[in-house]
Amino acid sequence: MFAFVAFSLRRAWHGFWRNGLMSIAATATMVLMLVLLSGLIILLTGLDATLNYVQQEVQVVAYMKDSATPQDISNLEVSLQEMAQVTQVNYVSKDQAMKDFLARHPDEADVIGSLSTNPLPASLQINLRDPNDYLDIATFLKSQPAVDRVLNIKNTVDQMVTVIGILRAGGTVTLVVVGLIVLFIIVNTIRLAVVARADEIEIMRLVGASDAFIRWPFIFEGAFVGLLGAAITIGLLFVGQGPLTGFLSDYFKVLPVEASATVGRNVALIVLGTGVGIGVLGSYLSVRSYLIR
Amino acid sequence: MAMVTAAPSGSKSSPHRRPGATDQAPDGLIPNRIVLAMQGVTKSYPNGREALHGVDLTIPEGDFVFLVGPSGAGKSTVIKLLIRDELPTKGVVLLDGRDLGRLKRRDVPKIRRKIGIVFQDFKLLPNKTVRDNVGFALEVTGARKRDIEPAVDRVLRVVGLTGQAEQLPGQLSGGEQQRTAIARALVHNPRLFIADEPTGNLDPVISWEIIQLLLRINELGVTVLMATHNAEVVTAVRKRVVALENGRIVRDEVGAAYHRED
Repeated sequence: MFAFVAFSLRRAWHGFWRNGLMSIAATATMVLMLVLLSGLIILLTGLDATLNYVQQEVQVVAYMKDSATPQDISNLEVSLQEMAQVTQVNYVSKDQAMKDFLARHPDEADVIGSLSTNPLPASLQINLRDPNDYLDIATFLKSQPAVDRVLNIKNTVDQMVTVIGILRAGGTVTLVVVGLIVLFIIVNTIRLAVVARADEIEIMRLVGASDAFIRWPFIFEGAFVGLLGAAITIGLLFVGQGPLTGFLSDYFKVLPVEASATVGRNVALIVLGTGVGIGVLGSYLSVRSYLIR
Repeated sequence: MAMVTAAPSGSKSSPHRRPGATDQAPDGLIPNRIVLAMQGVTKSYPNGREALHGVDLTIPEGDFVFLVGPSGAGKSTVIKLLIRDELPTKGVVLLDGRDLGRLKRRDVPKIRRKIGIVFQDFKLLPNKTVRDNVGFALEVTGARKRDIEPAVDRVLRVVGLTGQAEQLPGQLSGGEQQRTAIARALVHNPRLFIADEPTGNLDPVISWEIIQLLLRINELGVTVLMATHNAEVVTAVRKRVVALENGRIVRDEVGAAYHRED
């Protein structure tokens, strides 16, 4: 058994380099696909996390008129808290809103500093037990004189769900297409390796080598392409991690940072599994169609 | 494993390879002393050509048989049936008591280890040394590394290539290349040694050396079947001659010449 594995690995290694250019092409397309895959996973994970965050945190935001007195607001807050549909009410003052804004957009400090008054309204952020109760609450809020405008997070959420759905579908279709191309390239790479070894295979058959001895070196060779592609991809992701996270948190403000460690591990595992899986499948198909007569 | 001796004459052959061992249940009627039995074998190819018709051939253990006949007579088809590259359309091919027509796919490699075969074109791997070419047959059938070297040394001694063990096929003469192929075919300790036109690419003197080697291997107890056009050799050696013509056996004589002598 050990001899068999050693034999297969040695032949796979030689096979990979014997056909170096083609193997490198296969590995490169493998990397391309895996980078796309992991990019899509990271993006979707980030968007999902953002979506969850938004859904959990605030469902209705009511912006106060600047003319509303603290007493008006406080009364409104109390009456909201007494409603059965409401789980939580948070008051965000004009000052707090400005602080939050500056925290998110430090670059805008100059612009803000040049303003004589704070343009941001105070708001009440209301969590609902059931998002579908939104209309009741919104109607109630709109009837209040202190309320300027009601922002329905549900609309934002619905938009995000749509965007995520499109990304997921488009991304999956792209991945499947790229995946098939990778599979095709690997099938051809291994086919070349098989043809290059046609004499050896003939001799192996004649001297009574079992199919496993003929097949497994090629499967290992395909697995090796997958493994190498996955390793390069993970390396690229590792190097690109900083800029990528920065980009994502810039773009999707609220990506929860604590998720990234597990996300990184999951992405690495998926990349590894997909790479080796496609490599093995490609070689299996290639050797199968060649050996079975 | 049983594949380490060069020829079954020595005491090293493991018990299950000895004559008399019957691990082949359905063929109890066939004495195990018979290495090859073809009964009523007909082979038609999908294009309709009938390559063999009603061939009966029995080769007992230790025999030396020349298979002769013009091109297209069916010699190649016989060999393809023996190594189970093809299946008979009708009839039975029994190798060492096993019915090749009813062999499961995964058992085919095992039966091929009972056959050693050499061809006109040697089929050596050019980037491997003589030693590695011979050892390859054991390596790819799962032999342990420490068993390979002594087995290879033994067959290289038999074919007289001990001194060339580390050379590449390209550095060898045609005769030496064929002897390398013979060593590779012997390294599994086969029940039947098949030589398909082994002298086809060799000049007469070298051809004689190869024939002498095959005769010696036969004396060591290996059953030999040699397909050939070489009339001079066949007539001089006076062994059993099986002549094929148009897919039928037209002559089967012991101690015969290449051509009919009556």
